[in-house]
Amino acid sequence: MSSNFIEKPRYQCALGGALVTINALNRAVAIVHSAPGCASAADGAAKSGSGYWGTSYCNGRATPSTNILEKEIIFGGESRLAEQIAGTLDIVDADLYAVITGCMTDIIGDDVASIAGRFKAEGKPVVVAETGGFKGNSASGYDLILSALIAQVVERGLEKVSNQINLLGLIPAQDVFWRGNLLELKRILEDVGLQVNTFFSPFDDLASLKTSSQAAVTIVLSDVYGLGAARAFEEIHGIPFVNIPLPIGPTATKEFLEELAKHIAIDQTVLATVVERETAGYYAYLQHVAELYNDLDLQRFAIVVGDANYTYALTRFITDDFGWIPYFVAVTDIIDDADKAKVAERFSLLPPELRPKLIFETDTSRIAVALRAEVADETDEYSSPISPAFVLGSTWDRPLAQEFKAGFLSATYPITNRVVTDQAYAGYRGGLRLATDILSTLISNR
Amino acid sequence: MSLLEDKVVPGRESRLDACIAYGGTACSLKGENKGCLKNQERAFSQSGLCQLLPTMGMLLTLPDTAVVVHGAIGCAANGISTVIGIRLRNVQKGNPNAKEGIWVSTNLTESDVVHGGEEKLEQTILETYERYSPKSIVVFQTCTPSIIGDDVASVIDRVRDKLDIPVLVAYCEGFKTKVWATGYDVAFHAIVHGFIESDKEGRPPRREPGNKRERPLVNVINLASVGKPDEDEITRLLNAIGIDVTIGPNFANRETIRNMTQADLTISVCPTHDDYFIDYLHKEYGVPYVLKDMPIGLENTRAWLLDIASHFGLENQAKAFIDAEEKKVLQAVAKYTPALSGKTVFLSAGEFRALVTGALFQELGMEVVGVRSYHHDHFGEEYYEKLVKNQNGKNFSIDIANFQPFELTNLLNKIKPDLFIGHVNDNIWAAKLGLPTVTIFRIFDSYIGYQGFYAVAKKAARVLKNFSFNKNLAKHTKNPYKLSWYEKNPFTFIKVQEAALSSEQNLMETQNEKGVAAQ
Repeated sequence: MSSNFIEKPRYQCALGGALVTINALNRAVAIVHSAPGCASAADGAAKSGSGYWGTSYCNGRATPSTNILEKEIIFGGESRLAEQIAGTLDIVDADLYAVITGCMTDIIGDDVASIAGRFKAEGKPVVVAETGGFKGNSASGYDLILSALIAQVVERGLEKVSNQINLLGLIPAQDVFWRGNLLELKRILEDVGLQVNTFFSPFDDLASLKTSSQAAVTIVLSDVYGLGAARAFEEIHGIPFVNIPLPIGPTATKEFLEELAKHIAIDQTVLATVVERETAGYYAYLQHVAELYNDLDLQRFAIVVGDANYTYALTRFITDDFGWIPYFVAVTDIIDDADKAKVAERFSLLPPELRPKLIFETDTSRIAVALRAEVADETDEYSSPISPAFVLGSTWDRPLAQEFKAGFLSATYPITNRVVTDQAYAGYRGGLRLATDILSTLISNR
Repeated sequence: MSLLEDKVVPGRESRLDACIAYGGTACSLKGENKGCLKNQERAFSQSGLCQLLPTMGMLLTLPDTAVVVHGAIGCAANGISTVIGIRLRNVQKGNPNAKEGIWVSTNLTESDVVHGGEEKLEQTILETYERYSPKSIVVFQTCTPSIIGDDVASVIDRVRDKLDIPVLVAYCEGFKTKVWATGYDVAFHAIVHGFIESDKEGRPPRREPGNKRERPLVNVINLASVGKPDEDEITRLLNAIGIDVTIGPNFANRETIRNMTQADLTISVCPTHDDYFIDYLHKEYGVPYVLKDMPIGLENTRAWLLDIASHFGLENQAKAFIDAEEKKVLQAVAKYTPALSGKTVFLSAGEFRALVTGALFQELGMEVVGVRSYHHDHFGEEYYEKLVKNQNGKNFSIDIANFQPFELTNLLNKIKPDLFIGHVNDNIWAAKLGLPTVTIFRIFDSYIGYQGFYAVAKKAARVLKNFSFNKNLAKHTKNPYKLSWYEKNPFTFIKVQEAALSSEQNLMETQNEKGVAAQ
């Protein structure tokens, strides 16, 4: 990573993260207080980069936005914001209106909280968060807006429900498979007797967000995302949280359930039954392609590129369940040293002989440079050490796969070369789906 | 002022009196005072675009060029969809493994906002040069560094001394203009100043007037959103009457762009896209130009081609060619016209494109019932009248809007056209109302000339044959507006400006409001 710049950022700004998070909540609409273009640029990236999430309810160019110009920058944009909120309440049909801000309004210091406060005082469902783009990337925006919702929308004083949990840490669109992943995890967790708040699936509503203070524990499916929101649940609603990484495939999902059982009461017999049933289900399908896998020698050296959640989750799956050799992993997040250490620690749990080279690098072209150097050290006169290779990354890593004559599947943001709707990669069915997608790309020339 | 003299590109609201907020009819627009129109705004608005997007859309097409977006990280998020289009263009040219576009963000953080970002920008430019060895670099100035007072011009001067490649600069702060089409001007400004005026080799000399070519050589100004089939058709039309073509500046390299100063004529395919650049080539290099039609639809293609031919005394060749082509294409589309004739059509796109495409559908026997134009300026003026005249005086609704899908949705709900014609990103709103749509600006399709006339007719007939996808979509999804909105006038939120209220008075009023709010 350069000290000065980020090449082809694989995320939006804080405003973009907050905006996409709001747009992923059913019947919530954002009111963006910023220059023209901020809203459509930020979520335009997510609309195509997320396997074409596209136009949701009121996103993209429909996003209510003050579109402030020089005039407001000089004289302040508060009256324009008030006018815009009133107009939005008048014609846009939603149950929650989230005022979020961009760089310009944060710099000029508009008092957005007091403007929004006027509408709140009238009983309007308006929340507010300052999300100026320079405050960070999508991950910061996810935390900023969720913390605001947890403080302003989630009800206080509700009694705890001992088997209810909140799932956080999968940022809508940044996790291209967030909808499928949440629903697959919810399916498994309900089968072991839990009530699960996923918030961002197409079948969720704002009611479950409002009563999410009942949860006994928050599970953060990430070592680096969603921690701000989890802390808000803890501080405001007394809900402790635990980090358990996103599980893909039978091995990681079983571990996920066992780890979870340490933090919330789960009947051990039920857990064992569910694990057995789901594992059997996975292999009931997988056995039919096992012949293909062996006859065609579909084991590969793996190169994994993406965010902290996916690089670890994908690497574990291909190592533990899929029998591949992880060779090289690039984590593309903008994260500090403490977070890097947390991610590295996860990888250190892999067996030493299967531990890949791990780098932290935001810039696509530098990932190629690092991999070239790595491979050059080991290349002999017969072949490259990573032949046959496979790249699991974003669409932007396709040239890397071409360079190393590797197979390729896009699985991390941005994905622009395929469409993602209800697919999941998490859990048992997600693992099967990932295996299916990988194998399909390997035989696509047949 | 002009492209050469402007240090920073003026917004089109001041350069062209462009307006982004008007609702009415083709006939009512004519009587409006332009000075008032340009000041009209909305009390409720939806996200538009900022000028950075079209600027980036053009400049990222320059081969072997690295783009440095100086700003917060989100401004560079724009690149993601732009490069898809660029990649597909390379696929069209049979070059799917072409180098992908490179852009970087200076990623200004909270600390940079306090301490300034000039040093970071300079380092980024130098490191970008080292790392990617580009043939040119373009620097984008965005809102945040502009407000905190980063002196980008000085940084550019310093790096130009250090680097042996052209460094282009695009001032495209979103808050500086409400008309995002200004971004085209910004891109032309960056190209001209970077590759011609501030180029290390100096500007190319003016061509000697007596230096006559065997066949005339013309510039055709292309658009990043117009695909290869259309460029091929333009070339075919001009070659057929004995004219050679240089296409640029999108996807063109420095040498091609510099050579555009030596042409015999510059031809616009879209006046509202090109005028700033064409004016420069004319003033500085004496290159005459054609800047009033767009070769979409038979009548417009005829006028465009004859206008060009008249510059070189090629009218007879052109007439013969046009007559033959029209005869041929009319025979070919005859199988589609029964499905189209008598149907109503609503169009949504940049003003000029929407209007000329309206004329094309009239030629197929359809009636224009509404036009949504992204902005309005004088280039479109006479075309509204022309369309009304073409359909025997039948007036139609117009919405001048930098998108604002809430107005479009309301209007479509009232008008209920048989067919919707929309720019990319517009069609979804019609689709959710169950209307069949024909997308324009798809780079794999033809729209221009005779190939385009045929292709559009064929596509419209196909789409009308089965639009169950959209009919079902309308049944099962919802647009995000309250039912009461559909009962209101679609232009309720446009604040109509009375004559004589100047923009200075506007500023004063806002100041007063702010004062009241503070008390």
